[in-house]
Amino acid sequence: MLNLDINGRRVTVRKGTALLAAIREAGFEVPTLCHHEALEPYGACRLCVVEVREEGRDKTRVVTACNYPAKAGLQVETESEAVVETRREVLDLLLARCPGSPVIRELASSMGLHRSSYPPDQNRDNCILCGLCVRVCEKLGFTAITMAGRGAEREVAAPLKEPPPDCVGCGSCARVCPTGNIPLVDRDAMRRIWDRDFEMVRCTSCGRAYITREYLESRVEASGLPASHFELCDECSRSRTAQTMYRHMVLDDKEASHE
Amino acid sequence: MSKMLMVTPGRCIGCRTCEVACAFRHAEAGVPGRSRVQVRTLAKDVWVPILCLQCDDAACVQACPVSALWRNAETGAIEVQEDRCVRCNVCVVACPFGNMTVESPKKAVIKCDVCGGDPACAQFCPTRALEYLEV
Ligand code: SF4
Ligand code: FES
Repeated sequence: MLNLDINGRRVTVRKGTALLAAIREAGFEVPTLCHHEALEPYGACRLCVVEVREEGRDKTRVVTACNYPAKAGLQVETESEAVVETRREVLDLLLARCPGSPVIRELASSMGLHRSSYPPDQNRDNCILCGLCVRVCEKLGFTAITMAGRGAEREVAAPLKEPPPDCVGCGSCARVCPTGNIPLVDRDAMRRIWDRDFEMVRCTSCGRAYITREYLESRVEASGLPASHFELCDECSRSRTAQTMYRHMVLDDKEASHE
Repeated sequence: MSKMLMVTPGRCIGCRTCEVACAFRHAEAGVPGRSRVQVRTLAKDVWVPILCLQCDDAACVQACPVSALWRNAETGAIEVQEDRCVRCNVCVVACPFGNMTVESPKKAVIKCDVCGGDPACAQFCPTRALEYLEV
């Protein structure tokens, strides 16, 4: 356990806690875009900046809280002038990069920024290079997409920029993307994502297409659960549960009337 | 001693009060959520409320690739750690009872959490088809 001060409030956290977690435990909020509790910290969006003074030092530093460890004796400010200024600058740049993203616009306007002071980048999509899609894909064991290129050319892509051969079409990347930049279309029992088409499995009861075949197969294997667990959509599994309970109920009644 | 939600289907009159109570208890910013309990009609005048059985060997927990589902030691209910869920939706497909639910645009899947130990469905069920009892 170690003690630190956050906005003047003394908090005690376990060793190894990230500063962001300590701040949230203390009841303060800092905005984040590239952080996800299930994934390794990445420090890419720089929105989670806070000002820290380490024990025994005079100088303060502005650091990203998501990948900075909570240290004993640390003094942390989450809304100091330096923090607000840095956060504003980060959002100013993000707003120039993705002027059309509602998420970015909302964050920016919450800091009083309605238009970027930089020229807006009209030709770009809403990717902010937060890497959440790449990291979730890796976490699920597929590693189908990666970060490619450097500097202004940096982007998320499949190796060789082809439709990713290791993608199973699970769609998790599209769902964690903070700006909704990854198109996913389900139509006629087919899913299209990353320029690839995936066949979807239909529920054996109602016929609804509910998961891609490749994802289903990979999850049966990874989970070690029987394949029969996966053969119905959730709605039909529920109906089956209801029928099972009903049958028991009827049986119980019969037994009761025999007694 | 721990408590569990017990279902007695024969008492259910299909009024769906439980669904409404659940949706309101799980409201966020004043907007009711999707109900975690669902009443199914099986025959004329036969209804069964279905909700999570909080399985010992839960398929959802086993299938989750990021350990976003943990059992609450106090209530015994399996809870979704909303910050950890990546919405891969594997649990939704893997639960053989159909008790994991997608509620878009929420950032996590949803399931019955016995309302933290005071389940609204049982509280409002007029016929005690749903009861929260010591087991
Ligand atoms: S949807 Fe969320 S809780 Fe369910 S398996 Fe995926 S990460 Fe785990
Ligand atoms: S959340 Fe810390 S840098 Fe993005």
